[in-house]
Amino acid sequence: MADINQAIIAAGAYIGGGLILGGGAIGAGIGDGIAGSQFIAGVARQPEAQGRLFLPFFITVGLVEAAYFINLAFMALIVFSQPGSGA
Amino acid sequence: MTTQNLAASQIEVGQHLFRFELFGMTFNGDTLLASAVAAAVLIALAFMLRAKITAGVPGGVQLFFETITGAVRSQVENLIGLRVAPFVVPLAMTLFLFILVANWLAVLPVQIGGHDFIPPPAADANFTWALALLVFIWYQVAGARRRGAGKHLVQLAKGHVAGMAPLNIIEELAKPISLSLRLFGNVFGGTIMVSLIMGMFPAYILWAPNVIWKLFDLFVGLIQAFIFALLTILYFSQSMELHEEESH
Repeated sequence: MADINQAIIAAGAYIGGGLILGGGAIGAGIGDGIAGSQFIAGVARQPEAQGRLFLPFFITVGLVEAAYFINLAFMALIVFSQPGSGA
Repeated sequence: MTTQNLAASQIEVGQHLFRFELFGMTFNGDTLLASAVAAAVLIALAFMLRAKITAGVPGGVQLFFETITGAVRSQVENLIGLRVAPFVVPLAMTLFLFILVANWLAVLPVQIGGHDFIPPPAADANFTWALALLVFIWYQVAGARRRGAGKHLVQLAKGHVAGMAPLNIIEELAKPISLSLRLFGNVFGGTIMVSLIMGMFPAYILWAPNVIWKLFDLFVGLIQAFIFALLTILYFSQSMELHEEESH
């Protein structure tokens, strides 16, 4: 890559992709952790509710992970096909 | 490969086989083929059910369909009411089963020259955008028909708190966008992970992390299909609720 502009755009793309994934991972971790902790607290308080609580727990995990995967999709867009340089 | 270096340029992302152009638009042939296979599997299962349906002790296929129908009907009854929107039940069931079969078919490694020619269709954003657009247009039309077009638009802007109208409009736009990107991101991330695993591990140990990841991918495919159907029912219920009912 002898072109300095291409190099700068590529560097920006990689740094941006890393930040996107980092922020997404932090958010998903916190969200899943809160969902899991409420699930555990609910089961600890009332063990026979485990079957009923399972479903809302997985729904919440699915929705939280969705935010992370939307981040992943945008990271793939930015890193693999760097818009703005058309590489 | 003499180097273990996994530069981003070596991971092929978004490459589709069998691309063809028609009327100025590009079609991804492998996604079309994979979704056609998934649809064929689902329709074959439905015909098998119809041929063997019985009021006595149900067989496997009938039990499977009955379980899902029961679950979807109880969800629709809880959220909207079966008399208000009976058409949501077959719509939600079809979405769930189609996305489930499409995601689970991808576990078969069918390849031509190192490239998947039956990739998971949801790894192509066109597939998920099409489904989300279908759901979006359908629930807007259903809401407008139930409440009258003008009142429907006003209610969209009012949302739950009347003062936050711009935020409510943004939320309305975010519904189809997040619906499609959620499914796309999950399945697409799975395919990227498979490429990474191919690049990272030596050939003799490759099967172990691949199997572990594929099992997790199957699980994620199931959950995302379920969430797509559940959110469809939820969006229909939000779009079609009359102000007097207010039963959330």
